[in-house]
Amino acid sequence: MAQSKVTVCGAAITAFNRRTDGSSFRDWALAAFEDALTLSSLERRDIDALIVASESDFFSLQLNPASVLATDLGLVGSSTMRVEGGGASGQLAVHTAARFIQSGAYKHVAVVGVDPSASQLSGPTIKSLYSFSFDAWTDGLSGVSATALYALSFQAFMQRIPVSQQHLGLVTQQNRANATFNPRAHLGKIHSQQEIDESTLLATPYRRLHCSPLSDGAASLILSASSHSPSSRKSAPTIAGLGAASDSVHLGARSDAGDFAAKRLAMQRACREADIQPTQINIAEVYDAYAGAQLQAIDALGLSDNIPNDLQSGRFDIHGQCPINLSGGLMGQGAPVGATGVAQTATCALLLEGLYEEKLQPQSLPQFALADTHGGVCTTAAVTLLAGAAA
Amino acid sequence: MTIDYQLTLEYTLQSGWLEPFVRGLQQGIATARRCTSCEKTSYPPIRVCKCNHTGGEWVRLSGEAHIVHRCDGSEGSFALVQFIGADTRTVVRLENMPEPDAIGYLKSPLTKNANDKPVLVLTTDQQDKARR
Repeated sequence: MAQSKVTVCGAAITAFNRRTDGSSFRDWALAAFEDALTLSSLERRDIDALIVASESDFFSLQLNPASVLATDLGLVGSSTMRVEGGGASGQLAVHTAARFIQSGAYKHVAVVGVDPSASQLSGPTIKSLYSFSFDAWTDGLSGVSATALYALSFQAFMQRIPVSQQHLGLVTQQNRANATFNPRAHLGKIHSQQEIDESTLLATPYRRLHCSPLSDGAASLILSASSHSPSSRKSAPTIAGLGAASDSVHLGARSDAGDFAAKRLAMQRACREADIQPTQINIAEVYDAYAGAQLQAIDALGLSDNIPNDLQSGRFDIHGQCPINLSGGLMGQGAPVGATGVAQTATCALLLEGLYEEKLQPQSLPQFALADTHGGVCTTAAVTLLAGAAA
Repeated sequence: MTIDYQLTLEYTLQSGWLEPFVRGLQQGIATARRCTSCEKTSYPPIRVCKCNHTGGEWVRLSGEAHIVHRCDGSEGSFALVQFIGADTRTVVRLENMPEPDAIGYLKSPLTKNANDKPVLVLTTDQQDKARR
């Protein structure tokens, strides 16, 4: 039986920031879902399944959050589940929804990614919880932090690819500058290199400004079998290819601790499914928990043969050949973990359709977009390729 | 309007198949896993070898390791190190190892941390070296 084609009928993202207005993750989830549903031209009764992405019960203090959100969103009766894969939770939820539709099981699936990563717990508590993203029985016994593990991985990467503090600064400046044009972004700022260099050293070479913030927020997608998408959404973007892969949870067991091998494999699988090459990607939302992780991702995704040159020449800038993280990425837009992968895919879909923020929208409609997310130090990787009507 | 919760959790993690590794750490001994097919030695131990063989035996390493990559900053000092006799590398916390120290020893049980749990710490403490 031929797979059903999947259309992104609805896409929406709330503001990513630290909420101080008394609202809860249940409010943000509803806001994102209703905006996505409106764009989709579908009704609540059309939704067959709700898939919720949320990284940790410790963030929300709610086990089985999909059951609570199905009630809040008016989707009681639909099939519900939660998908979790660390930082990749949101993208894995997108994959799960798309695979359900491709299998013919459902016609319309709502995806909601949400996490209260900023307002419900203190920063040090969240940091402690993140340290359980790694093998608690082995690496965890060293007390290592996520920042330190990413720093060690980036140091290994620097042995293979000639990048430096200067390139970390370029990524930081670019993502935060893009975020100044995104009204939903947490950290839209113009940084000087000196400001970056003088921020607190966390774990060599990473300084405070090289890191993504902890944010609150939600994002939502309505995915539909293309054969059943509303007539007004027939030209909406489609899912062109999905790819996922994993790597050893132990950094030290990898043949190259600096290589995001799982991402490389996920990208190959997604490209094979979409029947395209990485060079055909016009825009990309890339997982930049740290500035160096973006450089490691560019390498693994095959988006550059010469990263230092491409960074200097502006290939990935707002007006470059392949803009990366127009939203600002995790570093600029923010990082409510469960929402991240869903927001990346929503951003790509809106850009492909010409519905994104005016100052960030490319002059001509892109053909192909890439959403890339991972969990751990790229232990769990998930890549989604989308095609616009121009493809 | 907010609802305040305070959650205090106390876990007792069972060491499971990693028991020799964890017991070794409690004694200040680096206990690794050697594949009985390809003879590659992993530390921390890997259950299924990269050669796909599941059989292995526990072997004692000297506890001496050299630093491959290190990072320092407000989050502490950590390193990816190579223990002598191991074919994989290990993430450790560094204690009393200022740069350019490049060789250290697994910390002894007599200097465990305040929480009294096994720790993956590398140090140049001469007492730890002498104890081996």
